[in-house]
Amino acid sequence: MSSSTSTAPPRASFLNDAGVRAFVYQAAVFLAVTGLLYYLVSNTITNMSQRNMSAGFDFLDVSAGFNIAFTLIPYREGDSYLRVFQVGIANTLLVAVIGIVFATVIGLIVGLARLSTNWLIATLARWYIEVLRNTPLLLQIIAWYFGVFNLLPRPRESMDWGGLFFLNNRGFYMPGPVPQEGFGWTLAALLVAILGAVMLVMWSNRRRRATGRIFPGGMAATALIILLPLAVFYGSGAPLTWDWPALRGFNFVGGISVPPAFCALVVALSIYTSCFIAEIVRAGIQSVAHGQTEAARALGVKPSRTMRFIILPQAMRVIIPPLISQYLNLTKNSSLAIAIGFPDLVSVWMNTSLNQSGRAIPIVAMTMAFYCVVSLAVSGLLNLYNRRMQLTER
Amino acid sequence: MAPDHTPAPPLVFTPRPSAPPPPSTVGVMGWLRANLFSSVPNAILTVLGAYILYVFLEAIISWALVNAVWEAPNRRACLDAVGRSGACWPGVIAWLPNLIYGLYPKDQVWRIDLGALLLVLWALPLFLPRVKSKVAIGLTAVLVYPFLVSYLFLGGEKGWLWMGLVAGSLATFFWVWLTAICEMRTGQGFIPLLVRTLAGPDPIPERARLVRQLAWAALFVTALVIVSRWQLVEVPTRLWGGLFLTMVISGIGITFSLPAGVLLALGRRSSMPLIRGFCVAFIELFRSVPLITILFMFNTMLPLFLPVGVEVDRLLRAIVAVCLFAAAYMAEIVRGGLQAIPKGQYEAAAAMGLGYWQSTTLIILPQALKIMIPAIVGNFIGLFKDTTLVSIIGLFDMLSMARAVGEDTRWLGLFIEPFFFITMIYFVFCFAMSQYSMNLERRLGGGQRR
Repeated sequence: MSSSTSTAPPRASFLNDAGVRAFVYQAAVFLAVTGLLYYLVSNTITNMSQRNMSAGFDFLDVSAGFNIAFTLIPYREGDSYLRVFQVGIANTLLVAVIGIVFATVIGLIVGLARLSTNWLIATLARWYIEVLRNTPLLLQIIAWYFGVFNLLPRPRESMDWGGLFFLNNRGFYMPGPVPQEGFGWTLAALLVAILGAVMLVMWSNRRRRATGRIFPGGMAATALIILLPLAVFYGSGAPLTWDWPALRGFNFVGGISVPPAFCALVVALSIYTSCFIAEIVRAGIQSVAHGQTEAARALGVKPSRTMRFIILPQAMRVIIPPLISQYLNLTKNSSLAIAIGFPDLVSVWMNTSLNQSGRAIPIVAMTMAFYCVVSLAVSGLLNLYNRRMQLTER
Repeated sequence: MAPDHTPAPPLVFTPRPSAPPPPSTVGVMGWLRANLFSSVPNAILTVLGAYILYVFLEAIISWALVNAVWEAPNRRACLDAVGRSGACWPGVIAWLPNLIYGLYPKDQVWRIDLGALLLVLWALPLFLPRVKSKVAIGLTAVLVYPFLVSYLFLGGEKGWLWMGLVAGSLATFFWVWLTAICEMRTGQGFIPLLVRTLAGPDPIPERARLVRQLAWAALFVTALVIVSRWQLVEVPTRLWGGLFLTMVISGIGITFSLPAGVLLALGRRSSMPLIRGFCVAFIELFRSVPLITILFMFNTMLPLFLPVGVEVDRLLRAIVAVCLFAAAYMAEIVRGGLQAIPKGQYEAAAAMGLGYWQSTTLIILPQALKIMIPAIVGNFIGLFKDTTLVSIIGLFDMLSMARAVGEDTRWLGLFIEPFFFITMIYFVFCFAMSQYSMNLERRLGGGQRR
């Protein structure tokens, strides 16, 4: 365009103006969504008033009046609904944490086995993954529960590992620690040891980067974490006794016991998730170019150190984001506990409490809010991690 | 080179045949050495792995085949014969129709078989060579086929709208096969071929359009005549069950989730804040809660959401929940596909003067869909496995049916055998799908692989 008489750009017609269109579209969508919500809410209010239902949260203080078979935090039959909610959350988180630990360990082993140069091991690992990944988790949970843990021998003939651990069709029994007075010192020592270990590792990494001299930081840190609390523990007179499980009558008494449903759930969840973790580990390690290994070897780095200092740090960047989302999946999948009667959040709250109190709306909202908070928090952390990793890369 | 002077043959270098490779590196022995016994720890691992494999296979084979009972009137007879050392298959065989069709009336079961056959026929052109419209055929198999079988499975009184949908679906089925046959024989689709024969090789656009419309109208009317003659007994959904129900729920889930996921993903990438906000909220909400909570929510709350007196079918509640859940996951897959398209493609489309919908449907989505196919198949596998959850809210899918075997008085306590059987069914389906998608990935991504 040369110098023309009109300096203003040619205006599109009103209907073709991008801003106007955007406004119209958004207004339409907004109206549609609010209209739908209004329709649903007004129907719900009518329905609820007809059925004499209430949407308030006032029932939270009312005594729930039912028993829960397994609770991590103390709970009595007369406790309030709010306590039931807390018990459910605690149980869900317990399953999730234990499942995550096992799934990671198994997944790491299977993932490395999948990469093994040994044909038989790699093939076994592959079929382990294929079979377990391609069958429904719910089926696996039910199979472990009814097919394994319910068919175990009765308490009198229970499986026995050195008189310490017992497994029977009532559950798994192990000795429980009972801290005495003065045990706090040991805990404090543990805390100090962990702090010291972290600082030690950081110092050794810094020195390695600066001078190239390698200090066995990991080993020293492990020794510190184990030895310092142990020394304090015995120094303060070993203030800890053990509660041993023992057969009394028809069942075991004492110690820590977990019901078969818990065992089945944890085993099934960790095995199922381990398949996905194994594939993530494999993909992560394969994502590091082979030239890195060759370059390390050319520089004379030992194979074990090649893995630790060259392959793993680069693979971790690929592994961690999908790994975390698998952890999240495991947490969500723990809600399948309801199928075998383990009292997790969905089972005690969205099923039992909902049926008993009839407060569908607050209960559903609270359950969903819990899962949303967990998953949004985790994905927030993940975003933070990704941003940090990207920064160090460039 | 001059041919006339040929001196005495010069010293020609004739290589001696290379020595054979050491016997320990070739053949079976060489393979064993390299892959199983390359070092002492490796050999130990091999022996350990072989032992585990032996124990496992021995246990399975002796239980499922060698010691198994194949004919018995009830479980007592099985237990008397082999105890618990062998499987009791007669229970599974007796319940096989229920495991597959649920409680669907026995004299109506042919409708399900016909529906399955129609699906196979619909998808068959995808595997024929020389058929070019594979993408269109595949999309109609996912998006149009469900309407055809909806009447086949449900039956009963059909209104005008439903009849029209079913007829349209049947017309599409005719089109699929006519297209496949024409493309195999002449390399041209059915409609273009028709246009060519009726309106000449280089017709004026109006005439070509007229022929096209007439062709579709003829197909539709034929289908409408067939459909209006069709009268099927109504089979209420509470009788649906087994593998059939599993297929119905996952099929509807994938059919709904594909378009809904595309729309949600486009909304999430939109520049309009309100639309983006709604889409993000929907996707994040449904992705962050477990499917079982959504199923529970719709099971208890859908009757509350609708006007007083409207009865919602239990199956429909589950399907609504599964559809919304699947749509949220699909949206994230589509978003991944959209993000993989280089920005230059958008800019080039805009430079050509294409509007938003034109550039999206003609330039971006076709490329993105190609990248997404493996992930979509993966999502479908997940959905197929997740349908087992409907057994928790009281629908009779394959898992519930398998559990019901052990509650039958004749087969009381028979749990492991039906579970083993349906596990194999799930595995075969999911494994076949995952292998197919990997195969597809290899073929489609051939040019881009590093």
